[in-house]
Amino acid sequence: MAELFQTTVRVFWKKEGRIKYISHLDINRCMARALKRSKLPVWHTLGFNPHIYTTFALPLALGYESECESVDFRLTEQVPMQEVVDRLNAVFPEGMTAYHAAPAVQKPEAICWADYQIIQEFDQVPAEQAAQAFFNWCARPELPVLKKTKKGERTVDVKPHFSVQEMKAQDHVLHLSVRAAAGASLNINPTLVLDTFAAETGIAADWQRVVRTAILDGAFHDFR
Amino acid sequence: MRNVRKDLERILLQVQKPSRYTGGELGSIVKDPEKVDVRFAFCFPDVYEVGMSHLGMKILYALTNARENYWCERVFAPDQDMEQLMRERGIPLYGLESLDTIGAFDFIGFTLQYEMSFTAVLNMLDLAGLEVRSKDRHNLWPVVVAGGPCACNPEPIADFIDLFILGEGEEVNLELMDLYLVCKKEGCSKQEFLRRAARIEGIYVPSLYEVRYHPDGTIAGVTPQEGAPAVVHKRIIRELDKVFYPENFVVPFTQAVHDRAMVEVLRGCIRGCRFCQAGFIYRPFREKQADTINRNAHTLCDNTGYDEVSLTSLSTSDYSKLEPLLNEMLTWTEPDAVNIALPSLRVDNFSKELIDRVAAVRKSSLTFAPEAGTQRMRDVINKNVTEEEVLRTCRTAFEGGFTNVKLYFMLGLPTETDEDVEGIIHLAQKVVDLFYHLPDKPKGKGVSVNVSVACFVPKPFTPFEFEPQDTMENLRRKQKILLETVRSRKINVKYHDSPTSFLEAVLARGDRRLCPMVEYAWRSGSKLDGWNDYFRMERWEDAAEVCGIDLAFYANRTRSYEEIMPWDHLDYGVSKAFLIRENEWAHQDATTPHCRDHCAGCGANRLLGGACFG
Repeated sequence: MAELFQTTVRVFWKKEGRIKYISHLDINRCMARALKRSKLPVWHTLGFNPHIYTTFALPLALGYESECESVDFRLTEQVPMQEVVDRLNAVFPEGMTAYHAAPAVQKPEAICWADYQIIQEFDQVPAEQAAQAFFNWCARPELPVLKKTKKGERTVDVKPHFSVQEMKAQDHVLHLSVRAAAGASLNINPTLVLDTFAAETGIAADWQRVVRTAILDGAFHDFR
Repeated sequence: MRNVRKDLERILLQVQKPSRYTGGELGSIVKDPEKVDVRFAFCFPDVYEVGMSHLGMKILYALTNARENYWCERVFAPDQDMEQLMRERGIPLYGLESLDTIGAFDFIGFTLQYEMSFTAVLNMLDLAGLEVRSKDRHNLWPVVVAGGPCACNPEPIADFIDLFILGEGEEVNLELMDLYLVCKKEGCSKQEFLRRAARIEGIYVPSLYEVRYHPDGTIAGVTPQEGAPAVVHKRIIRELDKVFYPENFVVPFTQAVHDRAMVEVLRGCIRGCRFCQAGFIYRPFREKQADTINRNAHTLCDNTGYDEVSLTSLSTSDYSKLEPLLNEMLTWTEPDAVNIALPSLRVDNFSKELIDRVAAVRKSSLTFAPEAGTQRMRDVINKNVTEEEVLRTCRTAFEGGFTNVKLYFMLGLPTETDEDVEGIIHLAQKVVDLFYHLPDKPKGKGVSVNVSVACFVPKPFTPFEFEPQDTMENLRRKQKILLETVRSRKINVKYHDSPTSFLEAVLARGDRRLCPMVEYAWRSGSKLDGWNDYFRMERWEDAAEVCGIDLAFYANRTRSYEEIMPWDHLDYGVSKAFLIRENEWAHQDATTPHCRDHCAGCGANRLLGGACFG
């Protein structure tokens, strides 16, 4: 098993454009088919239903784009890492681009934070007004947000888990850089916070774009 | 032409399954609009997951796009939530490849797979921003065309479609587009284009035919106008082995109903089951070479990354070289972990070897269609399957490790008695008993026999086209008999809704006087009638009343052999004399052997210009 683990490859890829509407489950299937088309020597599960086994370190919410997705799979033979990247890019659908492959270093549990770039467009209110309101809303001592999970609903104070790094308003467009807790134990989607703000204040964006720009470990280093 | 990419951005996260509406799938073909001469919107009048399972669309999509200057795009019916948002925001129907609205395309083509999709056709035309009636669309383009099995009696939607394409589309579609391109350059009127198109074999322009009626409502005659042919013959591909076959499919992100590679094995059917429209309208029987099929399958799996490939046809176990084909395929499917699916097997030629091969990679459940519960009934419908064969096949399946068997039946067949209905459950019971009496039955598992019962719908171009459909009351009574006859918990009975089947019977054999009713039903809200959630029989009953239509006249009336049927000016190969002969045999409980055994003289071989076999 130790040997097998060493051949686990982690491929980093981008998800951009209309493919953001493809759910995590569908991306899973899409990735398995891409690996099949690539003819890379990918390990299949044993048993009656052999299939390619992939792991995604941090699933991406529907509607988000990303510059830093990763997928893990095992190779049964040595293949140069650049070749893995090239062969996947040759068979990926529009909007998916591999840019780096390397043996997996950290386990997905190492993930603690993720960075996001958010653009919001407001048809009615000036962005400056929305920015000011959001700044004040975030400045409160506590930021209770209702989080829905499979186990039910619970209110989380996201104050320690969510921070606005940068905010820029121009005409009707608001740019936000946000850092939020990420990972299996606690994951805060920035839109959850923004939606709560919108519901409480009535200041809702008419269109928004969210791009995940980095996945970080506890020491704020890029997840490897 | 308008691009809706920006508009979609604002609504897609509000709908269920946005991936249905985005395009961008692997294998989808995007061209430069400046460099194409003809743009074709291939519309499937149902939701994405259903349409993306359809092989014919994949073939014609790839075929059209293989021509550099033609661009074919896919369009599906939006589900209710998406449609509502599109209408609210004024977003017209668009093609998934370009995200351009289709209202100004050159062609809008529908495939008519089932009658219940007729209102979806109207709804899609309306969503595209077009008038639904052909006579209200004056411009040459878009030309609204339709093909597929329901085009064999297109009369109930004749007012909405400019022309129908009869039979197989691989050749005629391109001929039609070529003619259009000439007409567009010449600046022809729509009327002139339609006149010229009617001269292409396989093209039926309904507006060029005048229909007269007898006082009793039956048809008195059909007269062609402006040089249109008196009879329109369907098109076929004579040399099936050489026909175009796609090397790639559009691979959907979201799971389609049939989400796998598909290769076509043969066209037509040798069996002649008397209820089965497909068994007659796709004649004559033609096979592909095993080499060709194997190559098609391997290429497709390589290009799509699918881990399942199905051998598709009306009856795949009738393929004469099935065993060698499977042997050849297994040399690469096993190492590549690709599963072979055989969707249409018959119980009378299903072997142990076959089962081993199907189960070689992955085990799925098995489905058989005895269609009727008693031997007499099976003889009437010419199913040519005995009870022993059904049981022997189930035994083979059980011994091969299967514990799940699905059996298909029909209710309301011509001459059916209550005894025949009970016979369905008795047969299922025998399958259950068989399992428990097997010494080497699969260990530790119970058996499950799923009985699926559909209501019989008489269809054009079958020997039963003359037959009345059972009334809804009688069908409901028979469904009760079914449930009351079940004695075992191992038997699960599922049956289809009878109002849907009744309406299907009306539309399948309707004439063009039904057009106003179809339009009325659509205007009052019918649009995805194939889905029980959306179907309301009351809408159709209202529509019939307002339009003065007696639904029973179409569904429940016995038609004489002499009556002119609404589709009699269309020729699908099988002759009416043959259908009458077969109908007479049915009423004598007499069977007809399959085509390989003995030629029954159906007439379809005229399309080949020779005998089907030998």
